[in-house]
Amino acid sequence: MKIIVFSIALIATVLSACSNNNSTAKEETKTSDTATTSAPASNITNQQAPSVDEAVTAYLHLKNALTSDNGKEAAEAGKHLHEAMQKLDNASFADNQKKVYADVIEDIKEHAEHISTNGEKIAHQREHFDMLSKDMYDLVKSVKPSQTLYKDHCPMYNDKKGAIWLSEMKEIKNPYYGKEMLTCGKQQEEVK
Amino acid sequence: MSKAKKILLGLLVLFIAMQFIRPAHNASNTVQAADMVTHFNTPSNVAGILSASCYDCHSSNTRYPWYANVQPIGWLLANHVKDGKGELNFSEFTTYSKRRQLSKLKSILNSIKDGSMPLSSYTLLHNDAKLSEDSKASLIQWTAKVIDSLSRL
Repeated sequence: MKIIVFSIALIATVLSACSNNNSTAKEETKTSDTATTSAPASNITNQQAPSVDEAVTAYLHLKNALTSDNGKEAAEAGKHLHEAMQKLDNASFADNQKKVYADVIEDIKEHAEHISTNGEKIAHQREHFDMLSKDMYDLVKSVKPSQTLYKDHCPMYNDKKGAIWLSEMKEIKNPYYGKEMLTCGKQQEEVK
Repeated sequence: MSKAKKILLGLLVLFIAMQFIRPAHNASNTVQAADMVTHFNTPSNVAGILSASCYDCHSSNTRYPWYANVQPIGWLLANHVKDGKGELNFSEFTTYSKRRQLSKLKSILNSIKDGSMPLSSYTLLHNDAKLSEDSKASLIQWTAKVIDSLSRL
C-alpha cells in the first residue's frame, strides 16, 4: 500500500514539474516582452535620434579586441553589439534605410551572438567577424554614424579572397591576423 | 520490503511515467520547395551526403533511431534537433534572405573544413554520418560553387 501511495506521489511530482516548467517559460517570455517594449521609451527620454552609434562603438570594440588577439574581450564586445542591435529602433529611418536595416539586422545579431559564445575560439570569431563587417559596412553606408569610419581591406584572409573591416583610425591594424600581421592591409574608403 | 527495494521500485515507476511524455517528432514528410537540394539543383552525390550527415538535425525531417523512443533520450534528441534547426534548416533554406544564405553557406564551408560539423557526439552513434575525405571535398567544392553563384546575383 505504502509503495502505491509513494509511486502515485512520484508520478504526480513529475507531471506537475513539467507543467511548472511550462508556466515559468511563459512568464519569462512575458517579462522579455515588456522589456523590449520599454526600450524605445528610454530612447525618447535621451532625446536623441535613434542612431547606429552604439552598435558602431560595440563593433569597434570587437575589432580592437581581435586586433589584440583577445577572444574573451571580443566575446564581451559581441554581446554588447547584440544588445545594441536589439535596441536599435528603426522607426525614424527613411524607407531605403529600413530596407537595409531589415536586410542586415538578423545577420548581424547572429554573428554577434556566435562571437559572444566563442571566446575560446578566436579563429571562429574571426570567420564571423568577416561576414559581420560586410553587414556593418552596408548598414553605416545607409544609416550614417556620427564618427568617421574607414573601410580597410585585408587581401590575405579567406584563402586570399580578401576581407574588409571598419576602423575608426587611419592607421592599419589588422583584426584578422592580430599581431602576426598587424600592419597588413590597405585603406579603401572613407565612410562619412 | 527493504528501503533499497522501495527506492528501486520508485525509480522504476518514475522511469515508466517518463515514457508517457513524448516530444513531437520532427517530420514534415514532404520535400519542401524551399529545400536547399531542390532549389540549387544539387548533384545527387552531394544531396546524399547532406541527407546522411546533416539533415537529421538541420532539416524538417529526422530519421529517428529506436532509442529515441526511450525517455529521457528522446527529450535530449528533440532538444538537439531544435537547436540544430534554429541554427540552420536546409528544408527552409531558400526562405532566408540572400545575405543570410551566404552567411550560412560560409559557415557550412568553415565548419566542414575545420571538422566541427558533423558533431563528434553525433557521428559516434551514427557511423554512416562520418564524412570521408572524398565526401568532405565534394561538399566543400559544391558549397564554394553555390557561394560564388549566389554572390554574383
